[in-house]
Amino acid sequence: MSITIKLFASLREALGEAELQLEVGALPPEEVVDGAINVAAIKSVLSARGTNWSDAINQPNLVHALNHKVVYLDALVRDGDELALFPPMTGG
Amino acid sequence: MSVSLQAEPIDIAAEYAALVGALPGAAVATFTGYVRDHSGEGPVGALELEHYPEMALKVLQNLGREAAERFRLDNWRIVHRFGLLPVSETIVWVGAVADHRGEAISACEFMMDTLKTEAPFWKREQGAEGARWVASREQDGERRARWEQSKGV
Repeated sequence: MSITIKLFASLREALGEAELQLEVGALPPEEVVDGAINVAAIKSVLSARGTNWSDAINQPNLVHALNHKVVYLDALVRDGDELALFPPMTGG
Repeated sequence: MSVSLQAEPIDIAAEYAALVGALPGAAVATFTGYVRDHSGEGPVGALELEHYPEMALKVLQNLGREAAERFRLDNWRIVHRFGLLPVSETIVWVGAVADHRGEAISACEFMMDTLKTEAPFWKREQGAEGARWVASREQDGERRARWEQSKGV
């Protein structure tokens, strides 16, 4: 099991990836409490992948959706969850 | 009382007939959104719509249910397209059936205002100088916020 990260729109395009898996066992142990890690810590982990990741992940107004629901940075993510990151929505 | 996410054009006549036919109502309102040939950035040749299918379906189903409760609807329908959409084609269609016009019209506006800021779709315009992602508009957020302030019609 792992955490699924999905990227959409300009974020997906800038990073060249639509989906990736984060193994909970490979995350910084100090960030994992009772098997859960918050969205802010996941963003830090992704930002460490390089400058392009850091720039894209830390852009203002980025939206985080945990299991298809928009959440704040303090939401807790667990094994098997799906966290999507994307720019503000522009449908309709 | 359903949602459709689809690549193919919206058959408005069929949608309307299904919306009204199942349950003849006193007041029916619909809204249709089309691809414009221009934007604030210049001419537009076509629109690409990216979406997050699982989340889009859930958000729109919840939105329809919320509109039904808030405006006492007898029926509602939300259809949103994805993929490559040429100019003048339909993007979105919403319909609401209620006892009175106020509820039906407000429900359509509420569904559209909410859909614009909360349903995971992203537009990319194909212009003369290549493709560009459409930026979210502040007015859309303001229109959505109005519904938080006034809970009624």
